[in-house]
Amino acid sequence: MREASGQGRRVRLTRRRLIQAGVAAALVLGGSAVAVVRTRGYVVPGDRRLAFFSPWQFVVVQHAARRIAAPDRAGDAAIPTADDVDVAGFMDGWIARMQPGVRRDLGRFLGYLEHLAPVGAGFASRFTRLSPADQDTVLASVEAASSDLLRAGFDGLKSLVFMGYYRDPRTWGIVGYDGPLLNRPAGGWR
Amino acid sequence: MSGGGFVRGRDLSQDLKLEVDAVVIGTGAGGSVALRELARAGLDVVALEEGAWLTSRDFDQREDHMLPQLFQDMGGRATEDMAIRVLQGRGVGGSTVHNTNLCKRTPDAILDLWARKYGVAGASAAELRPAFETIERDLSVSEMTAPMRNANNELLRKGVTSLGWRGGPLQHNRVGCQQSGYCELGCAYDAKQNALKVMLPQAVAAGARVYADVEAVRLLHDGERVTGVMAVARAADGTPRAWVDVKARVVVLSASAVGSAALARKSRLPDPHGQLGRGLRLHPGAAVAGRFDGTIEGWHGIPQSYECTEHLSFEEGSDARVWIVTAFAHPIGTAATMPGFGAAHMASMRAYPNIGVLTAMVHDETRGEVAVDDDGRPVLRYAMTEPDRRQLAKGLAACARILLAAGAREVTIPAIPPRRVTTTAELDALDLSFVRPHSVPLTAVHPMGTMRMGENPETSVVRSTGEHHQVRGLFVADGSLFPTSLGGPPQISIYSFALHLAPHVIERARGT
Repeated sequence: MREASGQGRRVRLTRRRLIQAGVAAALVLGGSAVAVVRTRGYVVPGDRRLAFFSPWQFVVVQHAARRIAAPDRAGDAAIPTADDVDVAGFMDGWIARMQPGVRRDLGRFLGYLEHLAPVGAGFASRFTRLSPADQDTVLASVEAASSDLLRAGFDGLKSLVFMGYYRDPRTWGIVGYDGPLLNRPAGGWR
Repeated sequence: MSGGGFVRGRDLSQDLKLEVDAVVIGTGAGGSVALRELARAGLDVVALEEGAWLTSRDFDQREDHMLPQLFQDMGGRATEDMAIRVLQGRGVGGSTVHNTNLCKRTPDAILDLWARKYGVAGASAAELRPAFETIERDLSVSEMTAPMRNANNELLRKGVTSLGWRGGPLQHNRVGCQQSGYCELGCAYDAKQNALKVMLPQAVAAGARVYADVEAVRLLHDGERVTGVMAVARAADGTPRAWVDVKARVVVLSASAVGSAALARKSRLPDPHGQLGRGLRLHPGAAVAGRFDGTIEGWHGIPQSYECTEHLSFEEGSDARVWIVTAFAHPIGTAATMPGFGAAHMASMRAYPNIGVLTAMVHDETRGEVAVDDDGRPVLRYAMTEPDRRQLAKGLAACARILLAAGAREVTIPAIPPRRVTTTAELDALDLSFVRPHSVPLTAVHPMGTMRMGENPETSVVRSTGEHHQVRGLFVADGSLFPTSLGGPPQISIYSFALHLAPHVIERARGT
């Protein structure tokens, strides 16, 4: 096994800080862009009442969740979709109980994802208007971003989406999980 | 003095004023022992716990239900740069409710180091032995023998043995264990012999009162002497319900290395030498997964019953500072750690029953800091040093080697992109420079060292007795005390130091 040498650390650190500062500015801009440019035209289904998300944030999360928790077997009816288990609705309730600072950061990240991340990935459109394949490209670019801050933002979003998805007993069969021993239904959870 | 009992702050309908001999903040390993010893000494003592009072009936083995109730920040606490997730307990019993029952004494070499380099007096291995023995007896500590070893731990043993590395069974505090595998979500079977099950009921039986849902917001002091605590009782949704003012001769801080330091900083304790909150150690760790042909189902059975200590030495300046144990999570935790997203991620998750997972935890030398933000919330600053990063890389490689030796068909180091190897030759050729914070998901469960003990006030926050150098009557009894990382699970050290220092607390509470 090889280890990278520590040479050039000072230069990288300085550069990374600059990049981080730039990314932080981008996140703020992403939030601001949402505030200034466009927050209308996002339709929340039915008469759903949101606990934390604004309608545009809810729709962005819906789109992101569909891709992050996308099924590996297209058309397999046994695999619940992110919408089936209401990942976005779960996240809305969960985030409403989180610390204000975390809520603020997540809101900014969603603004970045919707408006700026597509541009960075070469698309001249909002995230929510892209095709699923193009949305995957955008998400992959954020997941592998050179900025620690953006990668951390993606990790946070991904963790919440999977919490919303795999909390539902209907998903446990996919991964072979037999569920809690307590209150287990006679036929099992799966 | 009133009779002992548990009180839910969420049920308080009006402000409360208490005047007692001592108040303990936090009810985990340290706080529960301090509370018990003070009560047994005949003193009027209360404990304030910001989290809820839950019992075994509440632990339903669901991640989405238990994470918000048992962990700080709903399980989402992290370092300021979001590089390390820090899982910390919340609620009556603190982290002893969700831990995996690991019981190891403070290593002799660590105690020697603290005496020699950090000026800790009266805490040699010989002097602490009675406390260790008492705590281990109280918690019914016993070795996890082969019949109690689940498949994930068995593959660790198999790999370690095959490599000829050092390892062995661990000791736990469990009696009547059903081997359900849900330890980290609270024990529904009351088998965990922890603060909630053992220490706090004993404290209450001796006359102590435990106030749940009550958050200490400020220590009251005049810069030389502590006089009490200002606290707020909250409803289940966090909204304030009542003020709780406690006047006391002694205050014991047992709110964890994060909570205690944050409260001390918010309370503007004297800090003439700039030591308060500094020296944070975390034991940061990362996981490596191996895919096996056979079924592991690592979520079944007792977690973390075996260890590998081949790369762990407690000698100062050692280049072997990695402790390896099994790590296993239920689907939500696993999915969050599994690399990637989308269809490829779900395909990987289908191998969930066939994967074994190990974690490498660094006996860290990085010195972080606990500060507070404008809202009084703790801010954890921790920039992993290059030597610690190298230890992490070494540990992940060792985990991969063990998994391959145990028969893994493929080993994955979660990273962006994930690194996968199928042979030791591939592992040997792997450039490990990618192993660093933000590239590898890091988790820490053992914050320590933010209010270090020692005789020199220029290099420590509290004396070797646990009492603050400048503020009489203010004691610390949690992981904040430790001058360095422990290199292993801290609960026995925390319980035992609280017991070891209790005579000093009692003496002060008696007004002597």
